Amino acid sequence: MAGGMDLGTGGKGGKKPLDTQINLVPFIDLMAVTISFLIMTAVWTQIGKLQVANSGASAEPSNSPEDKTPPISLLITEKELRLSAGTQNFDPIPVTRGPNNKIELDKLRDKFKELKGQLPDAQAITLQAEDGIRYEDLVRIIDECKGDGLPQVSVAAAMG
Amino acid sequence: MAIEIPGKRWGKRLSHSKVFGHGSHGKKQIYADLLITPLVDMFVIIVLFLIANFSATGEVLMMSHDIQLPEAFNVTEIEMAPVVMVSNTDIVVSGTAIGRVDDLTKDEYLNIPALEEKLREMKKQYEDLHALAKDTEGSFKGDVNIQANKDVQFKVMKRVLYSCATAGYTNLNFAVLQKGSGEGAPSAATGSP
Repeated sequence: MAGGMDLGTGGKGGKKPLDTQINLVPFIDLMAVTISFLIMTAVWTQIGKLQVANSGASAEPSNSPEDKTPPISLLITEKELRLSAGTQNFDPIPVTRGPNNKIELDKLRDKFKELKGQLPDAQAITLQAEDGIRYEDLVRIIDECKGDGLPQVSVAAAMG
Repeated sequence: MAIEIPGKRWGKRLSHSKVFGHGSHGKKQIYADLLITPLVDMFVIIVLFLIANFSATGEVLMMSHDIQLPEAFNVTEIEMAPVVMVSNTDIVVSGTAIGRVDDLTKDEYLNIPALEEKLREMKKQYEDLHALAKDTEGSFKGDVNIQANKDVQFKVMKRVLYSCATAGYTNLNFAVLQKGSGEGAPSAATGSP
């Protein structure tokens, strides 16, 4: 019964039976091969990217002359976060950490909301990080900036 | 009296025994039908699940045990580009070891000359290849993927970033593990056109 459909062994001139049986063997073979292929080529970890620009070594935030919004920068130190927009300096945010030693960013989120209320067209921010800042903290802050409506993030080293 | 075949004849008690056969239980049927329907159903579900999770981009990054990526929500799909791997001990670019992190933290230079040189070489290769193929659309965009361990200090990272920028790779892509689905992600990892 390899291949094809079993149409019965009807005699000469006799009525062929209406019930036919689909041969599932090649179908199951195809499924097995497909599953093997998909399992072998599967990517189990979902990896994405956070795109940033590099401001170079200088800590001065870049600002084009056509851009009316004042340059926004965030100084990241091990103890506090200092947000500034042009000449306006916001209150420093002390760095607090959660149970997994992850930096807590609720206060920074509130500051960003306040900032976006004042400067709704603002899109760019420059992060100035100190040498001792962990990469994970930097990434979390970049993620927060992108989530709070500042998608153009550039990274620079803090001076001093 | 009925005629019997010559041979051993068990007693009345043993004739019902399973061991000596000829019991009242009879032989079980050898052929058993395999239930195909649930098997096919299971296969279909597995295939659909795997196709739904299929990533056409494949593995852009080579995952390493000594590099634990940080997590982020607002991510976009990672693309093929040179990969700079920064672990707690080593810096590797596309499989080539560049230097040890301990050595790099000692000196006070802003760049990493070996990294810069390697990236310049890769950039030249890319440009030459596309010039030979007369490919005007695939011009050099300056994308580089940074695959760094989450515990690496910015002291090392700033040198890596600076070296990338001076070598012409200005679009820095930090590789992260996607966590949930971000609201601000313009094209999430499910794919962009």
